[in-house]
Amino acid sequence: MLEVARFCLTAVLLCLSLAVFTVETAGLFRFKFALSRMHAAALGDTFGLMLAMLGLCLSAPDAASGVKCLVLLVFMWLASPVSSHLIAHLEAATNPKIHEEAEEIRL
Amino acid sequence: MTEAYRVLYTGALLVLSVLILVLLIRAARTPRNTDRIICVNMISAMVIVIIVLLCALLREGYLMDAALLYAAMSFLAVVVFCRVWLGTGKRKNEDGGDPDA
Repeated sequence: MLEVARFCLTAVLLCLSLAVFTVETAGLFRFKFALSRMHAAALGDTFGLMLAMLGLCLSAPDAASGVKCLVLLVFMWLASPVSSHLIAHLEAATNPKIHEEAEEIRL
Repeated sequence: MTEAYRVLYTGALLVLSVLILVLLIRAARTPRNTDRIICVNMISAMVIVIIVLLCALLREGYLMDAALLYAAMSFLAVVVFCRVWLGTGKRKNEDGGDPDA
């Protein structure tokens, strides 16, 4: 009974994670501006990784692998927004038409 | 139950592989250079999920360490690439990006 519940939870979380990754890839093709594509990529990566790691942490081969899943999740939560921010900074600095595509707000 | 897990993991691996192929084609055929880095970032996130899926499928513990190392390396690669392209950010340029101007 507990094994069935574990399998169902893992399956649901893994399928949701795959759906998020598919939507993220579709969003990469649909958006017009590079900054919007960056937004879709960053959100999709973080959310999809969270669902996948939570699902695979439940069915890990041993407890150490499960804990490493959560450690990987926390590390990707810290690292992925930093790299996304740097890519967006690169885009804002090297796009010659950035002021037509986006509005710059200086705080 | 083990058969169900195997079918689930194999299906997930197939879907992720197709998505990675689509992203690879997109990275090669995009007009802008920034799109390529975005695609590489997404591909590395999906590869991390693939490595963790393989760890669950083959029931080997060392693949989780490989996933952690891969995450660290891909993050480092994106940061170094963006820093080299932008410059280290110490200049006071108004439009902010060209290191050769």
